[in-house]
Amino acid sequence: MVRTLGLKKYFKDPKTGTKKAVDGIDIEATPGRIFGLLGVNGAGKTTVLRMLSTVLKPTEGSGSVAGLDIVKDAAKVRASIGFMSNSTALYGRLTSKEVIQYFGTLYGLSEQRLAERMSYVMDKLDIHEFADRYCDKLSTGQKQRVSIARTILHDPPVLFFDEPTAGLDVVTSQTVMEFIEEARDLGKTVIFSTHIMSEVDRLCDDVAVIHDGVVVASGSPDTMKQMTGERSLERAFLQLVKFQAGYVSAKQANP
Amino acid sequence: MNDTMKIARKELREMFRDKRVKFGAFVMPIFLILMMVQLFGFIIGAAKGAVKSTIYIAGIPSDLSKTFETAGMTVKTVPTVDEGIKLVKEEQAKLVLAVKPPTSEGQIVIEAYYDPKQQMAQLALSGIAQALAKDNKTVLAKILKEKGIPESAAEHIKVIPKQVEVGAKGAGELIVGFLPYMIVLFAFSGGMSMAADLVAGEKDKNTLETLLITPVGRNQIVFGKVLALAIVCFLSSFSCVVGLFLASILKLPGSAEMFKDGFGVTPVAAGTIILLLLPLVAMFGSVLIAISSYARNPREAQTYLALVNFVVILPAVFSQVIGLTDLGSKLWINLIPVLNSANNIRNALLGKTDWTAVLITFGMSAFLASIAIWVAVRLFNREEVLVRV
Repeated sequence: MVRTLGLKKYFKDPKTGTKKAVDGIDIEATPGRIFGLLGVNGAGKTTVLRMLSTVLKPTEGSGSVAGLDIVKDAAKVRASIGFMSNSTALYGRLTSKEVIQYFGTLYGLSEQRLAERMSYVMDKLDIHEFADRYCDKLSTGQKQRVSIARTILHDPPVLFFDEPTAGLDVVTSQTVMEFIEEARDLGKTVIFSTHIMSEVDRLCDDVAVIHDGVVVASGSPDTMKQMTGERSLERAFLQLVKFQAGYVSAKQANP
Repeated sequence: MNDTMKIARKELREMFRDKRVKFGAFVMPIFLILMMVQLFGFIIGAAKGAVKSTIYIAGIPSDLSKTFETAGMTVKTVPTVDEGIKLVKEEQAKLVLAVKPPTSEGQIVIEAYYDPKQQMAQLALSGIAQALAKDNKTVLAKILKEKGIPESAAEHIKVIPKQVEVGAKGAGELIVGFLPYMIVLFAFSGGMSMAADLVAGEKDKNTLETLLITPVGRNQIVFGKVLALAIVCFLSSFSCVVGLFLASILKLPGSAEMFKDGFGVTPVAAGTIILLLLPLVAMFGSVLIAISSYARNPREAQTYLALVNFVVILPAVFSQVIGLTDLGSKLWINLIPVLNSANNIRNALLGKTDWTAVLITFGMSAFLASIAIWVAVRLFNREEVLVRV
């Protein structure tokens, strides 16, 4: 279970003053379901995930992951989560096997448990054929499989995915999405951040639309469509974020 | 294995696979030391050769030719002084001697023509003076004896140099001149090539976030990175001693001149160097990680590191010439970072380890290392520095 209450994150910028990246977000993700964080670039999705994964401390509000407070029990929270993002890279001068092993030791797995889990994830993701190859030499798809292995190695009850398919080809994206569905079926709590509507339609049981750091709507994807009277989730989303022609470019010019 | 060691082991594994570390931190110091030994050996050999170089005598060759030839010089003749001067101007002759007829008092005057801007010519001139000094002394002794005057009357005050053995046997003067500088320099620059990658590079490649999401504490992460970098700095620095050892056993051209008294780095000197290096590399490792943490990306980190490098080079360079002053023996000099380590390494190589100075230097470096690691930890825990948004 992941829950936030009035979660806020403000950044101080000497030039532009205070930036409200996240301004009071309440969400609740439950085990065995995929919770989608939907929003345009810069909406605050990654900041929410960074707070939930204890990389950033909230300015205000509270959050819990697997029943643990994200501020008071930060180390335990980190032990209970797996985090995967398309932008996170691997260590180029380590082999696939070494990367997986390294993170296993950092998550405190015993030698026997580590051996068992490594064997499981490497079998499952078919990593053996490139296990001893440096990560620098892997294809994008192979890298993504190693990233998934790293994410699930310690068998965490909560998984965060921050735009995990961005920039990936169709085949690799498919692997990632199948893996997310499998995690849900195994009873994991999954939070999935994206701006690709087809993925939300396919994967998410619950959705929160984030815009300018606040939740503008939440519910199932069908609820979103009903709320806006739109047939597609994409159009529903655009209506929810009050899309007007030129909105994005104008916002980028005058943030 | 604790978390700090896990992080350090992974960083070391990655660094030892990096060509920049292999060449920049380990091969380069060894290569430079080998080159320097050969270069200095060649210069000493050339200087000795210059003392016994070819000289020109203008006019009719005099009996003095034999004196010079006995001293190992090659004597050639030129018909006139003017032609001799022309040869000097054309840089074909280093030294042209014009031997004048004896004066009424029987003194032979030799005019020596040379280019004062040419160091080789000055060395040749000193060779002439050395060769003639023996002759002058023999003639004077003969005259004094004929007149019944004791030989000692020619030298009212005579100085007899007597070398006093101070401290243990040490390394040669030239080795002492450059080795401390190299050791201190590589203690910093050995880790410089990788420092930018360790935090700023991880930010840039987005691997840092995956590390921050593990249960390992941020302090343990920064300690692990500092430890790994300090080990590389230490090994890079000690590679200079390895390079010197190789130069002494490989019998390279120039080795004979540089290692007249053997390798020169005694076990006590090596131990002292290690003792002085430990807090120094801890300080350098922490400074490098602090800079890398502060920078947004490796390029920015490299810019800061290049500037800080000068702060290390300056006192290290001064350590090369500290022997020309009496500052090296002052206790307060041990409070100046970098210079204190270089000066104590110099003394250790000379076989004159001053343990009080070593302890002050160790304490000072350890104190600064503590401050540097505190700064590195503080920076690494600041989310606005670590996760630039």
